[in-house]
Amino acid sequence: MTGYRYHEQHTPPPARQVTDVAVERFEHIFEVDPKLMTAHVAQQLFPNWDTLRIAASRGDHLEWMHRHWAYQVISAQELLDEIESEQPG
Amino acid sequence: MTIAPELSDQVVSELADAVGGQHVLTSKTARYNRARVPAPFPVHRWAERVPDLVVMPASTEEVAEVMRIANAHRIPVVPRDGGTGLTDGAVPERRGIIVDVKRMNDVKAIDTDNRTCTVGAGINMLKLNEVLAPYGLLYPDDPASYPCSLVGGRIGTSGWSLIGSRYGHSRDLVLSFSFVLPTGRVIRVGDGGGPKVSKSSTGYQLKHLFMGHQGTLGIATEATLKLIPKPEAELSPFWAFPDYDSAHQCVQKLAHAGVATFAGAVLFDEWKVDYLRRDDEAYIPQPADVRALVCAVAYGNADEVRAGGKRFMRIARDAGARYLGDEISQGDWAARHDRYATPLHGRTRAGQVVPMSWHCEDSAINWTDLPQVRLEWHRIADDLRRRFDMFDDWGIFAYTSAATGVDYLTEIDIGIWEQELDDESWTAWVQAKKDIAEVAVRHGGSISACHGACRDGEVDLVPVELGGAFDVMLDVKRAVDPNNIMNPGKYLLDRAYETEVE
Repeated sequence: MTGYRYHEQHTPPPARQVTDVAVERFEHIFEVDPKLMTAHVAQQLFPNWDTLRIAASRGDHLEWMHRHWAYQVISAQELLDEIESEQPG
Repeated sequence: MTIAPELSDQVVSELADAVGGQHVLTSKTARYNRARVPAPFPVHRWAERVPDLVVMPASTEEVAEVMRIANAHRIPVVPRDGGTGLTDGAVPERRGIIVDVKRMNDVKAIDTDNRTCTVGAGINMLKLNEVLAPYGLLYPDDPASYPCSLVGGRIGTSGWSLIGSRYGHSRDLVLSFSFVLPTGRVIRVGDGGGPKVSKSSTGYQLKHLFMGHQGTLGIATEATLKLIPKPEAELSPFWAFPDYDSAHQCVQKLAHAGVATFAGAVLFDEWKVDYLRRDDEAYIPQPADVRALVCAVAYGNADEVRAGGKRFMRIARDAGARYLGDEISQGDWAARHDRYATPLHGRTRAGQVVPMSWHCEDSAINWTDLPQVRLEWHRIADDLRRRFDMFDDWGIFAYTSAATGVDYLTEIDIGIWEQELDDESWTAWVQAKKDIAEVAVRHGGSISACHGACRDGEVDLVPVELGGAFDVMLDVKRAVDPNNIMNPGKYLLDRAYETEVE
């Protein structure tokens, strides 16, 4: 059993500047650059597991929405690949 | 002008007899929770729009009895369904009684042979579709408020659906409904008399009259809906363009392609892309040459969606588009069914993050006029932002309303720092709304394709847009609601009761 290590959970990975207004600490999870949240809205501190949980549940929600509206989702990339392969050589 | 009298103990007692004492709500919480909708409004004026009390009837008969009591005592009545509308239809402007229909949320019948269902008007579409799922059926009315808006509100708004280009909008999907008039009389309106008829030529076509009235003519209590088989497949490719004009051309080629499974196409302008690049995980990493976006959506049988989808992909490729990939395309489309769950924030002119409410001004605009309308609307928004550092231009998108591409639901999204709104900035915002509506009307469009046009600002232009038809609206209002108890103050309908002075 792994114990909950407060310090570990409250030490986010270092931020990578993605654009002039956004940073990335976990893959594909973007945050507003902290320097833009100093005057009116303060950034909240989330434990790392909670940041990942929020992102994962967003993904779950979108998956649910797909299943709700149709039995399958067709890949447009597959269609594009088929078109490209049908081009005369 | 009808303004609620102080509700006497006698009135409260009569209402309690009609719906049960526990379903007459008078607490501050119950009343303030029903005083507003998501559309921004100055916080310091919220108290102006609080009802005297709330009733929660459970049947058409109970609604009819509430109406008889209100009509007898000349008390304003405002129907409230999900409260998700963006033009204040569910907001009481003259106090009175809120009729909250959420207890009328049962599924009364499912007819698999004729593919219909009959439901209470207080049911939500998502919950309805969970009940229909075991039957392989779907009710395809799909607003951005899909998880939280209700069938009755869709009737009151004559709602617009994301996939309406394939399956129709609320007006097409609601076959008939029970409707309580302000006098308490109950009628059934649809196409003709049969509750499950989709096309009739008998008599006047009253269904459209009693849809989209924003609660000014009565209350829908029960509806019979058209159902479709749950689609086998969904496809939603998103493409990037280096400029708006290319994207504008492409979106209409997609709409003109004649693909039977085509459910809609969406065009995002440069301002919208700038906003997404700032705050949307899918677009933050996009390169700077992405200046406009287009999406096409298809639903139906898998083989048909695949065949139509290949046609879409060829059209977009030939138009110079870059496909954004399956992850962005599928994720972005799935999120569009649920825009009310999006936490919102905007930026001051200095770039600092502030909490902002979302306001979208919507119009119906022909495809040919989209480029010019977009420029004029952004000029209005830019002027507003320059004068007041509490507004933020979140860009414009345009959805096809029909499979032919004739007109587009066109929205400019404005972030508003609602807590900072004072009388001066609110007045400027109302004028901006009026200016936005004026552009739509001048370009031969309509003030609203989706929300309705009741709010301060745009409502002033309704008589201009409708011309002589607005006078007929006044005649209808006066005939149906002789005492002006239904949602008084909306749509300038008080004019129906003004006495001419020589």
